[in-house]
Amino acid sequence: MKKSTKKLVLLALMVAQALVLSIIEAWIPLPVNLPGVKLGLANIITLVAIIFLDFKSALAVVVLRTFLASVFGGGPIVFIFSAAGGILSTVVMAVLYKRFRRTFSITGVSIAGAIAHNMGQLLAAGIVMKEAAVIFYLPLLMAAAIVTGILVGICTNLLAEALKKTRIFD
Amino acid sequence: MLKKGDVILVVLALAGIAAGFGLIRLGAGTGDGAMTAVIKQGDRVIKTIDLNEVEAPEKLVITGDYTETVLIEKGRIRFLEADCPDQVCVKTGWLSKNGDMAVCLPNRAMIKIEGQSADVDGGTY
Repeated sequence: MKKSTKKLVLLALMVAQALVLSIIEAWIPLPVNLPGVKLGLANIITLVAIIFLDFKSALAVVVLRTFLASVFGGGPIVFIFSAAGGILSTVVMAVLYKRFRRTFSITGVSIAGAIAHNMGQLLAAGIVMKEAAVIFYLPLLMAAAIVTGILVGICTNLLAEALKKTRIFD
Repeated sequence: MLKKGDVILVVLALAGIAAGFGLIRLGAGTGDGAMTAVIKQGDRVIKTIDLNEVEAPEKLVITGDYTETVLIEKGRIRFLEADCPDQVCVKTGWLSKNGDMAVCLPNRAMIKIEGQSADVDGGTY
Protein backbone atom coordinates (compact mmCIF):
# COMPACT_ATOMS: atom_id res chain seq x y z
CA MET A 1 0.00 0.00 0.00
CA LYS A 2 1.94 3.00 -1.26
CA LYS A 3 -0.48 5.82 -1.60
CA SER A 4 -1.75 7.09 1.72
CA THR A 5 -4.81 8.68 0.09
CA LYS A 6 -5.86 5.33 -1.29
CA LYS A 7 -5.45 3.75 2.14
CA LEU A 8 -7.46 6.55 3.72
CA VAL A 9 -10.31 5.99 1.27
CA LEU A 10 -10.22 2.22 1.82
CA LEU A 11 -10.32 2.68 5.59
CA ALA A 12 -13.22 5.11 5.33
CA LEU A 13 -15.10 2.59 3.16
CA MET A 14 -14.41 -0.17 5.65
CA VAL A 15 -15.69 1.92 8.56
CA ALA A 16 -18.86 2.62 6.57
CA GLN A 17 -19.32 -1.05 5.67
CA ALA A 18 -18.73 -2.21 9.24
CA LEU A 19 -21.19 0.38 10.53
CA VAL A 20 -23.87 -0.68 8.06
CA LEU A 21 -23.34 -4.36 8.96
CA SER A 22 -23.61 -3.59 12.67
CA ILE A 23 -26.91 -1.80 12.02
CA ILE A 24 -28.54 -4.31 9.68
CA GLU A 25 -27.61 -7.31 11.83
CA ALA A 26 -30.12 -6.03 14.39
CA TRP A 27 -32.83 -6.58 11.75
CA ILE A 28 -31.97 -10.24 11.27
CA PRO A 29 -34.08 -12.34 13.61
CA LEU A 30 -32.13 -14.96 15.53
CA PRO A 31 -33.65 -18.42 16.04
CA VAL A 32 -32.97 -18.24 19.77
CA ASN A 33 -33.74 -15.51 22.27
CA LEU A 34 -30.45 -14.95 24.01
CA PRO A 35 -30.15 -11.47 25.45
CA GLY A 36 -26.94 -9.77 24.41
CA VAL A 37 -26.10 -12.22 21.62
CA LYS A 38 -25.30 -10.62 18.28
CA LEU A 39 -24.06 -12.05 14.99
CA GLY A 40 -21.03 -9.78 14.93
CA LEU A 41 -21.11 -9.27 11.17
CA ALA A 42 -18.96 -6.14 11.47
CA ASN A 43 -16.16 -8.49 12.48
CA ILE A 44 -15.98 -9.58 8.82
CA ILE A 45 -14.63 -6.13 8.01
CA THR A 46 -12.21 -6.17 10.97
CA LEU A 47 -10.82 -9.47 9.70
CA VAL A 48 -10.50 -8.17 6.15
CA ALA A 49 -8.58 -5.16 7.50
CA ILE A 50 -6.24 -7.50 9.41
CA ILE A 51 -5.73 -9.76 6.39
CA PHE A 52 -5.22 -7.11 3.71
CA LEU A 53 -3.95 -4.15 5.72
CA ASP A 54 -2.40 -4.19 9.20
CA PHE A 55 -3.23 -4.22 12.91
CA LYS A 56 -3.28 -0.42 13.26
CA SER A 57 -5.72 -0.03 10.37
CA ALA A 58 -7.99 -2.74 11.77
CA LEU A 59 -7.94 -1.08 15.18
CA ALA A 60 -8.80 2.29 13.61
CA VAL A 61 -11.75 0.72 11.76
CA VAL A 62 -13.04 -0.91 14.97
CA VAL A 63 -12.72 2.16 17.18
CA LEU A 64 -14.37 4.43 14.58
CA ARG A 65 -17.13 1.91 13.91
CA THR A 66 -18.00 1.44 17.59
CA PHE A 67 -17.86 5.20 18.14
CA LEU A 68 -20.20 5.95 15.23
CA ALA A 69 -22.52 3.09 16.18
CA SER A 70 -22.85 4.51 19.69
CA VAL A 71 -23.60 7.96 18.24
CA PHE A 72 -26.44 6.44 16.18
CA GLY A 73 -27.83 4.65 19.19
CA GLY A 74 -26.46 3.55 22.50
CA GLY A 75 -24.62 6.44 24.05
CA PRO A 76 -21.28 6.72 25.87
CA ILE A 77 -21.68 3.68 28.11
CA VAL A 78 -22.45 1.41 25.18
CA PHE A 79 -19.39 2.87 23.42
CA ILE A 80 -17.07 1.92 26.31
CA PHE A 81 -18.61 -1.52 26.39
CA SER A 82 -18.42 -2.30 22.67
CA ALA A 83 -15.03 -0.61 22.17
CA ALA A 84 -13.56 -2.79 24.93
CA GLY A 85 -14.86 -5.90 23.18
CA GLY A 86 -13.78 -4.66 19.76
CA ILE A 87 -10.25 -3.71 20.81
CA LEU A 88 -9.57 -6.95 22.69
CA SER A 89 -10.97 -8.97 19.81
CA THR A 90 -8.85 -7.09 17.24
CA VAL A 91 -5.68 -7.61 19.28
CA VAL A 92 -6.35 -11.36 19.63
CA MET A 93 -7.26 -11.81 15.96
CA ALA A 94 -4.26 -9.81 14.72
CA VAL A 95 -1.84 -11.81 16.88
CA LEU A 96 -3.33 -15.14 15.81
CA TYR A 97 -3.46 -14.19 12.14
CA LYS A 98 -0.04 -12.54 11.89
CA ARG A 99 1.92 -14.90 14.15
CA PHE A 100 0.07 -18.23 14.19
CA ARG A 101 -1.36 -18.48 10.70
CA ARG A 102 -0.04 -22.02 10.34
CA THR A 103 -1.97 -23.15 13.40
CA PHE A 104 -5.25 -21.29 12.91
CA SER A 105 -7.45 -20.90 9.86
CA ILE A 106 -9.42 -17.70 9.32
CA THR A 107 -12.42 -19.43 10.90
CA GLY A 108 -10.33 -20.24 14.00
CA VAL A 109 -9.13 -16.64 14.17
CA SER A 110 -12.73 -15.49 13.88
CA ILE A 111 -13.94 -17.77 16.71
CA ALA A 112 -11.11 -16.61 18.98
CA GLY A 113 -12.01 -13.02 18.08
CA ALA A 114 -15.68 -13.57 18.92
CA ILE A 115 -14.80 -15.09 22.32
CA ALA A 116 -12.33 -12.27 23.06
CA HIS A 117 -15.03 -9.76 22.09
CA ASN A 118 -17.41 -11.20 24.67
CA MET A 119 -14.73 -11.29 27.36
CA GLY A 120 -13.80 -7.67 26.71
CA GLN A 121 -17.46 -6.64 26.79
CA LEU A 122 -18.14 -8.45 30.04
CA LEU A 123 -15.02 -7.01 31.63
CA ALA A 124 -16.13 -3.49 30.67
CA ALA A 125 -19.72 -4.25 31.73
CA GLY A 126 -18.49 -5.53 35.09
CA ILE A 127 -16.50 -2.34 35.66
CA VAL A 128 -19.26 0.01 34.44
CA MET A 129 -21.97 -1.75 36.46
CA LYS A 130 -19.65 -2.37 39.42
CA GLU A 131 -21.07 -5.86 39.44
CA ALA A 132 -18.96 -8.99 39.26
CA ALA A 133 -21.98 -11.23 38.67
CA VAL A 134 -22.07 -10.31 34.95
CA ILE A 135 -19.36 -12.97 34.56
CA PHE A 136 -22.18 -15.54 34.75
CA TYR A 137 -23.15 -14.49 31.23
CA LEU A 138 -19.80 -15.72 29.91
CA PRO A 139 -20.58 -19.43 29.27
CA LEU A 140 -23.74 -18.54 27.35
CA LEU A 141 -21.99 -15.81 25.33
CA MET A 142 -19.03 -18.12 24.62
CA ALA A 143 -21.32 -20.82 23.27
CA ALA A 144 -22.92 -18.24 20.98
CA ALA A 145 -19.47 -16.95 20.01
CA ILE A 146 -18.44 -20.35 18.64
CA VAL A 147 -21.47 -20.41 16.34
CA THR A 148 -21.28 -16.77 15.22
CA GLY A 149 -17.48 -17.03 14.94
CA ILE A 150 -17.80 -19.92 12.47
CA LEU A 151 -20.41 -18.00 10.46
CA VAL A 152 -18.27 -14.86 10.33
CA GLY A 153 -15.22 -16.99 9.45
CA ILE A 154 -17.01 -18.55 6.47
CA CYS A 155 -18.20 -15.13 5.22
CA THR A 156 -14.69 -13.69 5.62
CA ASN A 157 -13.14 -16.58 3.70
CA LEU A 158 -15.52 -16.03 0.79
CA LEU A 159 -14.99 -12.27 0.82
CA ALA A 160 -11.21 -12.60 1.10
CA GLU A 161 -11.09 -15.00 -1.88
CA ALA A 162 -13.13 -12.55 -3.95
CA LEU A 163 -11.02 -9.58 -2.84
CA LYS A 164 -7.77 -11.37 -3.73
CA LYS A 165 -8.98 -11.58 -7.32
CA THR A 166 -9.45 -7.82 -7.46
CA ARG A 167 -6.45 -5.54 -7.29
CA ILE A 168 -7.96 -3.20 -4.71
CA PHE A 169 -5.33 -3.86 -2.05
CA ASP A 170 -2.28 -4.01 -4.37
CA MET B 1 -9.54 -25.75 5.70
CA LEU B 2 -9.74 -26.36 9.42
CA LYS B 3 -6.37 -26.44 11.13
CA LYS B 4 -5.11 -28.04 14.32
CA GLY B 5 -5.36 -24.82 16.32
CA ASP B 6 -9.02 -24.38 15.36
CA VAL B 7 -9.95 -27.77 16.78
CA ILE B 8 -7.95 -27.21 19.98
CA LEU B 9 -9.56 -23.77 20.39
CA VAL B 10 -13.10 -25.09 20.01
CA VAL B 11 -12.48 -28.05 22.32
CA LEU B 12 -11.00 -25.75 25.00
CA ALA B 13 -13.87 -23.30 24.61
CA LEU B 14 -16.46 -26.09 24.91
CA ALA B 15 -14.72 -27.38 28.04
CA GLY B 16 -14.76 -23.87 29.48
CA ILE B 17 -18.46 -23.47 28.67
CA ALA B 18 -19.34 -26.80 30.29
CA ALA B 19 -17.30 -25.95 33.39
CA GLY B 20 -18.93 -22.50 33.53
CA PHE B 21 -22.48 -23.83 33.32
CA GLY B 22 -21.60 -26.47 35.92
CA LEU B 23 -20.26 -23.86 38.34
CA ILE B 24 -23.31 -21.65 37.83
CA ARG B 25 -25.63 -24.55 38.58
CA LEU B 26 -23.68 -25.41 41.71
CA GLY B 27 -23.59 -21.79 42.84
CA ALA B 28 -27.28 -21.08 42.21
CA GLY B 29 -28.37 -23.60 44.82
CA THR B 30 -31.88 -24.89 45.01
CA GLY B 31 -32.89 -23.18 48.23
CA ASP B 32 -36.59 -22.54 48.51
CA GLY B 33 -36.05 -19.94 51.21
CA ALA B 34 -36.29 -16.21 50.67
CA MET B 35 -35.92 -14.98 47.10
CA THR B 36 -34.60 -11.47 47.18
CA ALA B 37 -34.59 -9.34 44.07
CA VAL B 38 -32.06 -6.51 44.06
CA ILE B 39 -32.59 -3.57 41.69
CA LYS B 40 -29.38 -1.64 41.18
CA GLN B 41 -28.18 1.29 39.13
CA GLY B 42 -24.40 1.59 39.03
CA ASP B 43 -23.36 0.75 42.56
CA ARG B 44 -26.52 2.25 44.07
CA VAL B 45 -29.13 -0.19 45.27
CA ILE B 46 -32.55 1.23 44.36
CA LYS B 47 -34.67 -1.41 45.97
CA THR B 48 -34.49 -4.83 47.56
CA ILE B 49 -37.65 -6.91 47.54
CA ASP B 50 -38.47 -10.34 48.85
CA LEU B 51 -40.36 -11.75 45.87
CA ASN B 52 -42.22 -14.28 47.98
CA GLU B 53 -43.73 -11.47 50.03
CA VAL B 54 -45.14 -9.54 47.04
CA GLU B 55 -48.93 -9.49 47.25
CA ALA B 56 -50.14 -7.36 44.35
CA PRO B 57 -48.19 -6.72 41.14
CA GLU B 58 -46.22 -3.54 41.42
CA LYS B 59 -44.36 -1.28 38.99
CA LEU B 60 -41.17 0.61 39.56
CA VAL B 61 -39.69 3.22 37.24
CA ILE B 62 -35.92 3.59 36.93
CA THR B 63 -34.74 6.89 35.49
CA GLY B 64 -31.34 7.97 34.25
CA ASP B 65 -30.01 8.25 30.70
CA TYR B 66 -32.95 6.02 29.78
CA THR B 67 -36.17 5.09 31.52
CA GLU B 68 -37.19 1.57 32.40
CA THR B 69 -40.27 0.12 34.01
CA VAL B 70 -39.78 -2.89 36.26
CA LEU B 71 -42.74 -5.17 36.94
CA ILE B 72 -42.72 -7.02 40.23
CA GLU B 73 -45.06 -9.94 40.85
CA LYS B 74 -45.16 -12.70 43.42
CA GLY B 75 -42.17 -14.94 42.78
CA ARG B 76 -40.97 -13.15 39.67
CA ILE B 77 -39.70 -9.85 38.34
CA ARG B 78 -38.86 -8.39 34.95
CA PHE B 79 -38.02 -5.30 32.92
CA LEU B 80 -41.38 -4.57 31.34
CA GLU B 81 -40.55 -1.59 29.15
CA ALA B 82 -37.46 0.40 28.31
CA ASP B 83 -36.64 3.21 25.91
CA CYS B 84 -33.03 2.13 25.45
CA PRO B 85 -31.93 1.17 21.91
CA ASP B 86 -31.02 -2.49 22.38
CA GLN B 87 -33.89 -3.72 24.61
CA VAL B 88 -31.66 -6.46 25.98
CA CYS B 89 -33.14 -6.04 29.46
CA VAL B 90 -36.73 -6.43 28.22
CA LYS B 91 -35.85 -9.41 26.02
CA THR B 92 -34.34 -11.17 29.02
CA GLY B 93 -37.91 -11.68 30.25
CA TRP B 94 -38.96 -12.93 33.65
CA LEU B 95 -36.46 -13.63 36.40
CA SER B 96 -37.66 -16.20 38.88
CA LYS B 97 -34.70 -18.29 39.99
CA ASN B 98 -31.77 -17.60 42.26
CA GLY B 99 -28.90 -16.21 40.24
CA ASP B 100 -31.17 -14.90 37.44
CA MET B 101 -30.13 -11.49 36.23
CA ALA B 102 -31.21 -8.88 33.69
CA VAL B 103 -28.99 -5.98 32.75
CA CYS B 104 -29.55 -2.67 30.98
CA LEU B 105 -26.07 -1.45 30.12
CA PRO B 106 -27.02 1.91 28.58
CA ASN B 107 -28.70 2.89 31.84
CA ARG B 108 -26.33 0.91 34.09
CA ALA B 109 -29.37 -0.72 35.67
CA MET B 110 -29.73 -4.31 36.68
CA ILE B 111 -32.00 -6.70 38.52
CA LYS B 112 -30.62 -9.83 40.09
CA ILE B 113 -32.12 -12.46 42.30
CA GLU B 114 -30.11 -13.35 45.32
CA GLY B 115 -31.76 -16.17 47.13
CA GLN B 116 -30.84 -16.91 50.64
CA SER B 117 -29.72 -20.40 49.98
CA ALA B 118 -31.47 -23.06 52.00
CA ASP B 119 -28.11 -24.74 52.45
CA VAL B 120 -27.07 -24.49 56.04
CA ASP B 121 -23.51 -23.72 56.92
CA GLY B 122 -23.60 -25.86 60.02
CA GLY B 123 -26.08 -27.59 62.20
CA THR B 124 -26.39 -28.71 65.80
CA TYR B 125 -28.49 -31.54 67.02
